[in-house]
Amino acid sequence: MADLDSSKSLSALLNGIVQRTYFSNTEISEELLNRELYPQLSPHEFRVLLDKMRGVLKSIVSADMDLNQLEAFLTAQTKKQGGITEDNARVIAKFWKNHKINIRDSLITRSKWDNSLKAINWRVDLKSQSRHIDHGNTPVAIAEIQLGKNGQESEFLCLEFDETKINYILKKLSEAEESITALIHTS
Amino acid sequence: MASSAKSLDGSRPSFLGIRVPPAVETMAQHLQELDRDTFRTLLKVVVSALEGKDCKESVKVILETSVLPEEQLTFLISGMYSLLQEALRLPLSTLKQEAFKEDLKDLRIPEDFITDFVGLIFGNRRPVLDAAAQKQETRLPGLEDFRWRVDVAISTSLLARALQPSILMQLKLSDKTSHRFEVPIAKFHELRYNVALILKEMNDLEKRSVLKIQD
Repeated sequence: MADLDSSKSLSALLNGIVQRTYFSNTEISEELLNRELYPQLSPHEFRVLLDKMRGVLKSIVSADMDLNQLEAFLTAQTKKQGGITEDNARVIAKFWKNHKINIRDSLITRSKWDNSLKAINWRVDLKSQSRHIDHGNTPVAIAEIQLGKNGQESEFLCLEFDETKINYILKKLSEAEESITALIHTS
Repeated sequence: MASSAKSLDGSRPSFLGIRVPPAVETMAQHLQELDRDTFRTLLKVVVSALEGKDCKESVKVILETSVLPEEQLTFLISGMYSLLQEALRLPLSTLKQEAFKEDLKDLRIPEDFITDFVGLIFGNRRPVLDAAAQKQETRLPGLEDFRWRVDVAISTSLLARALQPSILMQLKLSDKTSHRFEVPIAKFHELRYNVALILKEMNDLEKRSVLKIQD
């Protein structure tokens, strides 16, 4: 029972560290984690535990370890003086298995500083008449492109394209896709 | 009084619409005694105006040098402008040269001037005038140039091995602004799919029979 509790607490602690460090969740403070998860530890003792786990997580996250690497790393940690216990290692391994993808995605997003494409909405209209021209009914595409940085207000770009331009963009995008495919397949 | 503008057999409405614009009618009356040189001078100014050029100065010169009273010249210029503007709105496939001539004859415009009007609407100046009309059309900004680059983030301050491709795109628009943004791989596929879909929709739209109706 005690084991179960301690692994629950550790799992919650890891979650707290990840939320604070990698998801910028400022609501979770060290004091809160200490009070809620490890009330039996003094702030100093808790600090030592926190630093240790944070260090272990940082190594795992930064190297984006796969399961083999993780196992080797954790085994080494259990053998180290003042390292982690085998129970700890099990909890950490399970935690990483479950959260690896989310954490990595968050980190990738956080190293983007440019505006990024959020969404594209479009409609196809038929131009029929205007002040100076009685059109030969040409189709025209109107697109709204949403660009924004994470956590900031987006800007919306409204553009108009005729068929030639759409063809042109599609051609360019196909070129880009070829280039991506080549990269993914060779790496 | 506005006369009804039907061709002689009464079956085809004039290109000017059911009612001839008053400016055109007044012009037609004033054209009767006009000499061809003055007409051509006025026509030149009107065409430049239709091409979107500033004609304040040339109109001023005409008003100062012509023997005709200012009021008459103003009637002529505004009438010619309205007439040409209406004629240029219609694509060549809709407005036939014979019909146009007939309509002008109905307005009792002298033969010489009809020849000049016809030369303008159906002559080699037409593409220039059409292009000018296109320019004045209200529209959203369009795309001038599109550039892309595929980046692979190797390593970042948070990740030792990121190896994540992403696309950097730059759009140059017709309003002279340019926008640069990143596109994550998943979004890129979404974008490409949507552009292809737009093209398909446009093609489908063109195929629909409702667009093939020509008068």
